[in-house]
Amino acid sequence: MRIIVKLFANLRDFGPKYQELDVPDNFTLKELITRLGIPENYPMIRLVNGDFAELEYSLKEGDTVSLFPPIAGG
Amino acid sequence: MRLTNEQIERYSRQIILKEVGGKGQEKLLNSKVLVIGAGGLGSPALLYLASAGVGTIGIVDGDKVDITNLQRQIIHFTEDVNKEKIYSAKEKIAKINPHVRVITYNTKVNASNIREIVREFDFIIDGTDNFPAKFLINDACFFEKKPFSHGGILRFQGQTFTYLPENACYRCIFDSPPPKGVVPTCSEAGIIGVMAGLLGVIQASEAIKYILSAGQLLTNKLLFVDLLNIEFRTINFKKNKNCPLCGENPKIKDLIDYETEICDLKN
Repeated sequence: MRIIVKLFANLRDFGPKYQELDVPDNFTLKELITRLGIPENYPMIRLVNGDFAELEYSLKEGDTVSLFPPIAGG
Repeated sequence: MRLTNEQIERYSRQIILKEVGGKGQEKLLNSKVLVIGAGGLGSPALLYLASAGVGTIGIVDGDKVDITNLQRQIIHFTEDVNKEKIYSAKEKIAKINPHVRVITYNTKVNASNIREIVREFDFIIDGTDNFPAKFLINDACFFEKKPFSHGGILRFQGQTFTYLPENACYRCIFDSPPPKGVVPTCSEAGIIGVMAGLLGVIQASEAIKYILSAGQLLTNKLLFVDLLNIEFRTINFKKNKNCPLCGENPKIKDLIDYETEICDLKN
């Protein structure tokens, strides 16, 4: 199935700001984050179709995943 | 308190706004705003707060001006290199608006000093450059029931939200600082000066609106700005019942000094 991944701010170190990805059925958000090469301990806001989602969330065809990191510079 | 003729003239362009007026200007003159960090975010915030006539401005910073700061920390000039940032900032504020009372703290905030400092002010602006300080400010403002504006910048991106007591806090979205080295810092990743300017001005604007009780504040919303792609996105968030600080079963009962990794560390 195909999903959309949007990365924000410094998470763009791990991919483009917008990409479409083919993933297996029932692929979880956690598996997606691992596949993107983002370290497990990287804090972030995870939205699926605009709503907060847990790491265990099973992705569905057409889902849009948006990932936002914390930014601490000043 | 009555406005003097000089004050009426000086602030006339904002006094004519219905959101300000004479009453609002008096509120600003009677208000006390603390800016923690006189750096990229703090510089524009301090300049605008001073020119708007915020009566008392506190500045906390333990650093001296470095030549690498000047690209974005616009309150400091070339001649200020090696001068304490608090004094450099205080001098500029006095030149813009000599009526502002400036209280300086030549220190970094830590778990032992921050509560006493924030207690003296009506609104706090987080202009710090590292995660430990951002969590410390969040926690101190929660315990002291003080409103604050959070800001963070890196490269061409920034994020900001406003905390008011009883609203969602920083830990409702990011429960603890990331491990050292996981998220890049300004010295590693860089920062464009205008990003600091834009975000610091939004923070000053939140402080001013809070004092005036005008408009909408950025509470329960995290604003993400990407200047490179000129994108502004707001994420709505709520108070998190599992928040380790303000949730139903808080784990954090006191302030924590995390190990600091700052933007301006020289290699």
